[in-house]
Amino acid sequence: MVGIAFDCLSNPLGAVRVTFEKAIASGIDPTNLNGKDWGALDVFRDCLFDQGALSQVPILDHSSIGWIQPNSLVRFRGMVQDMLGNEFYVGAFKDGSTWRTNKFTDIASFPMGSQSETRIWERQLLYCVPVPGQNSWTIQHSSESMFNRCNKWTSQHGEKRQRDDEMVIDYMVPQESQGSTSSSKKMREGEFTGQSPQLHESFNDEMSAKVSVLTSFDSNRLPCLVKVYDSPESDLKLNDVLEFVGVFTFDPVLSVQADGSEDVSNELFEDALSHLPPNKVPRLHCLIHRKLANHDFLLSSPAIERAPNLVRETREALVGHLTTILGNDGLAAECVLLHLLSRVHGRVDSVALGKLSLNLTGFTRESLTVFGSQLNHAIQTLLPFTKSIPFTVEYLNTASLAPQKDYEKNRLVTSALQLAEGTHVTIDETQLQEGMLNATGVENVTLLKNLMELQKVEYDFNYYKLEMPTDVQLLILSEGKSNILPADLVLPIQPTVVGSSLNCASEAQQAWRWYLATLRSSAHDIDPDMQKIIEDDLVAARQEDRSLGSNDFSRWLTMGRLVSASFGETRLTLEHWQMVKELERRRKERLNEMRK
Amino acid sequence: MKDLDFDADRALARDFLLNYADANGESKYLNLLQDVANHKLRSVQIDLEDLFNYKDLDEEFFRRVMENTRRYLGVFAEAIDTVMPEPTEAFPDDDHDILMTQRMEYDSEKADGPDPKQRMPPEIKRFYEVYIKASSKERPFTIREVKASYIGQLVRISGIVTRCSDVKPLMQVSVYTCEDCGFEIYQEVTARIFMPLFECPSKRCQINNAKGNLILQLRASKFLKFQEAKIQELAEHVPKGHIPRSMTVHLRGELTRKVAPGDVVELSGIFLPIPYMGFRAMRAGLVADTYLEAMSVNHFKKKYEEYELKGDEEEQIARLAEDGDIYNKLSRSLAPEIFGHEDVKKALLLLLVGAPHRQLNDGMKIRGDLHVCLMGDPGVAKSQLLKHIINVAPRGVYTTGRGSSGVGLTAAVQKDPVTNEMVLEGGALVLADMGICAIDEFDKMEESDRTAIHEVMEQQTVSIAKAGITTSLNARTAVLAAANPAWTPAENINLPPALLSRFDLLWLILDRADMDNDLELARHVVYVHQNKESPALGFAPLEPSVLRAYISAARKVSPYVPKDLEEYIASAYSGIRQDEAKTSAPHSYTTVRTLLSILRISSALARLRFSETVAQSDVDEALRLMQMSKFSLYSDDRQKSGLDAISDIYSILRDEAARTNKLDVSYADALNWISRKGYSEAQLKECLEEYAALNVWQIHPNTFDIRFIDA
Repeated sequence: MVGIAFDCLSNPLGAVRVTFEKAIASGIDPTNLNGKDWGALDVFRDCLFDQGALSQVPILDHSSIGWIQPNSLVRFRGMVQDMLGNEFYVGAFKDGSTWRTNKFTDIASFPMGSQSETRIWERQLLYCVPVPGQNSWTIQHSSESMFNRCNKWTSQHGEKRQRDDEMVIDYMVPQESQGSTSSSKKMREGEFTGQSPQLHESFNDEMSAKVSVLTSFDSNRLPCLVKVYDSPESDLKLNDVLEFVGVFTFDPVLSVQADGSEDVSNELFEDALSHLPPNKVPRLHCLIHRKLANHDFLLSSPAIERAPNLVRETREALVGHLTTILGNDGLAAECVLLHLLSRVHGRVDSVALGKLSLNLTGFTRESLTVFGSQLNHAIQTLLPFTKSIPFTVEYLNTASLAPQKDYEKNRLVTSALQLAEGTHVTIDETQLQEGMLNATGVENVTLLKNLMELQKVEYDFNYYKLEMPTDVQLLILSEGKSNILPADLVLPIQPTVVGSSLNCASEAQQAWRWYLATLRSSAHDIDPDMQKIIEDDLVAARQEDRSLGSNDFSRWLTMGRLVSASFGETRLTLEHWQMVKELERRRKERLNEMRK
Repeated sequence: MKDLDFDADRALARDFLLNYADANGESKYLNLLQDVANHKLRSVQIDLEDLFNYKDLDEEFFRRVMENTRRYLGVFAEAIDTVMPEPTEAFPDDDHDILMTQRMEYDSEKADGPDPKQRMPPEIKRFYEVYIKASSKERPFTIREVKASYIGQLVRISGIVTRCSDVKPLMQVSVYTCEDCGFEIYQEVTARIFMPLFECPSKRCQINNAKGNLILQLRASKFLKFQEAKIQELAEHVPKGHIPRSMTVHLRGELTRKVAPGDVVELSGIFLPIPYMGFRAMRAGLVADTYLEAMSVNHFKKKYEEYELKGDEEEQIARLAEDGDIYNKLSRSLAPEIFGHEDVKKALLLLLVGAPHRQLNDGMKIRGDLHVCLMGDPGVAKSQLLKHIINVAPRGVYTTGRGSSGVGLTAAVQKDPVTNEMVLEGGALVLADMGICAIDEFDKMEESDRTAIHEVMEQQTVSIAKAGITTSLNARTAVLAAANPAWTPAENINLPPALLSRFDLLWLILDRADMDNDLELARHVVYVHQNKESPALGFAPLEPSVLRAYISAARKVSPYVPKDLEEYIASAYSGIRQDEAKTSAPHSYTTVRTLLSILRISSALARLRFSETVAQSDVDEALRLMQMSKFSLYSDDRQKSGLDAISDIYSILRDEAARTNKLDVSYADALNWISRKGYSEAQLKECLEEYAALNVWQIHPNTFDIRFIDA
């Protein structure tokens, strides 16, 4: 068994080949296969999950790309940023009289005669990037041991490897611009034109080529071009966060070409791929992928059972922590907690259920520096993906918040609002000054407003717009109530003490992260009896105050859900419903106070 | 691969061209070829549907043409060569013809046997192009659906053109002359890249071992017009959470310059791989780019009048039309997620259907479009209704009264930044010509636009006299307006009477303090949160596409008012006028326009029934709708202007009775109505007694049921 595991990890293509040959031998006709799996995936699934080899697979990122071997098994975690459509490739061909496959690779493993019989198969191309706004504590680095093991596989080159690695570090100069300057391109070109294609057979040269090529990788956000096989197209969606396990391919020869002049054919219609040369974007041939949720990003899940008292304790500690941060404002802390637990759990018509955007008012420039930054920091340590958008007239007038299709490059240009599910966004309105918005500004504000109200972002495809559903938690910090971005909950904060120490034990932090990530996705239900009570309460409230509308009712129910979730319960109890009403009462009181 | 018998297929193709007869018995293709021979046409389009309908159809042959279209283009071209008739009309020789005659003469003169290297390829002789058009019977593919298995086949796809290249010449046959032997050498070019010949391959040069130098003759070579375009999936074809796919299209010859970016087109073409050349082949020997070699280009049209019924829609409409309750069914399917407002939705349905336009003998036009104005408190889903209507209408423009651009609602004269010429740019109303223009925030409209709207709503044109341009643009559009009421109840309608009278129907949607509605709302919200879906509507709303199809079918009918109904309508109208004279209701403007409105609404109702004549029931419903629209406007004034409880209860009962068109009201019903409005049973009793004393109604002594005394 060890043998196979070893094989799967270091020589996955070999494993693929073996299974293919086995399948052919067992009588499967490759002409009818149409790219479907022939049993290779089971081998990998068995090896990775049942035997737990998954943790041994190195994660592909900017630090590991220096030493990961081409054609070995890697993991990549990222968000689908763009879908480049399908690629047609020669999936199987006849080499003499035996069938060979090219699945999971860029280069034919055996020479392919031009006359040989071929079968064209399809694969999906996904352009993936690290999740936007991912906080550093969630990033899992490939451990030292993995690196060593990798070295062991190529032990004969161990010494050289050491040196190469030093070189990698030397080369890891952060580069602002996407590509390298033209002079360095030239240099690389020159370097390669001297090489004959066979050279890459020699490990030594390959490594040196690779290291020099590495200079053009963006130093901390390594994108990846994932080629997906064996998955229905509807499975993978834009902005999904996924973990791909697959074969990492890298061929320095191919990368040279990308810099060289293109042939005449496509001067107007640039191939999207030509903008993603392999020396900037590694390729990954995906064998297995799985969707990741927020709690998959917790590095170590603490052994907390969902025992009610433990959840209660964690809740108490977290509310305490938030209260301290917010200058001893308990009400605000409760609201922030509910806000952090919110998630869009369903959509009915145009209403996104479960969202709870929060607008904390009463911030001045001064108090913002104290509480705002503390709050921001706290959220960053609690949630895996956070982002803040500066809300200034200048930013709104210049930035393009809607992702846009660039038909020149045939790519979707990302923007600040292309976000993964469950991202937390802070918008600081205190920065906003009086001024004129131009057309872009107005569009951006509409976009933000739609995001706020409908949890949808319109992607601009020039000829039409496509609405993409999103699920982000929006927090707005402002001086007065934000009229531009109407949040679900508006609360003026009333700090009484300037928050003192922020240091908290990392164990506690771990527990809080776990608490937020798990309880967020808990189920919820309302008993018929409770429903009746709620309905009566709503009607009574509306009889009293005509200004209440379905939005307010919806908010209360969401709050009910979140309050009961925050106690680790899945059924709304009267007690928690009373809590919601009490929260609302206190909030309203405070709002009225502010008005006076 | 089986060695396909192309000779036999060529004979089949020839047979088809000669013998195919269309529905009229004419041999379509021979006529076509005659036109080609006379240089009137430059392309021969073979419709696969014709081939399918051909009496001696060989199904295997049909399948082969479908699946290996590229090859069969050649087969058909060769077949056409053999059956090409002689020109019957004289036409001026152009350069190409002169060149060809010379070549032919030279060919026949040549004595020293045919040299295969010097044979003229048939392409160079052809002065026409051959296309095979896919059958338009089935639904076209979306780009996403074209898979690897379709490579080499003829497919039909729909999409939007996103980019277009310039038209460039593409070499089809390159011609060289040899310096030594002087022969013309031909080379066929099938790919985008070719390797030019350098050594003369002719027999004489080979024998002499002269290695004659070849010179490319551009004038003698044959070029094709060539254009590249990118098409992208239509928004409605993109699955949720995905990105539209795109595809490269090659357009040749006569098909070039047919598309521009932004066009929605339906293409048929051959889905082909591009073999990589040169270094690229080395890099990516395994992957292939694909493109669509266009065979025909069709533009989509989006007007009711040109709406083509798809597949089973015709049948579906027929079934719906038989359903007696279609009026209710259709109106409920408009914005099904908005609760209640049945009559408003009915009015909106009629707006979508409209009445036929009439042009009188003296040239006067009477509009058929219905104008509707919705007024109401903020947050009563006015905007949602508007947007939904725009969605259903095939041509609709949504705008707000405070339109942002300088063009505004009507039209503007603008200076073109490039040419410095004055150009006329249509505003929302002009853009919505033959459609629907929804204007939100109608009351906040610019004064200038509001004046212009008077003209649009009655004359249906926009007149411009600006910057030396005087013209009048068509704006045959139905206006759907939404406005907020003013704060004081007496001025609910915040618009000048001249404008108001142009609306056929006005509705005031108010948010009333109503226990029922509140409970309904609370239930709805709780249900939605609990079940993550809207509560069942108690009926299945029709799909917008079905609605659209039904309405477009209904719009084709143009009903008339039969003689015997004229009297009825006239008396109804005069009745309204007299009623109005009696009361002192503040804002009712019953004018001749009202009469026209009644006619319009009745015709729209007749259209819904697919009836050529307006029935009395249509007129009754029209009158009812107008009555209801008035109720919605005035019943509220009373309540808010501080009438005492007793008179208010009376008016509620009267309104409800009028609404149900009955004189009898049961006590239970009455109690129900008034308690919803927040009155007690004691007050009702008081009211009953008081008004019974005035002889307004009679009260049943035991059951307390009410009977209005008809005045």
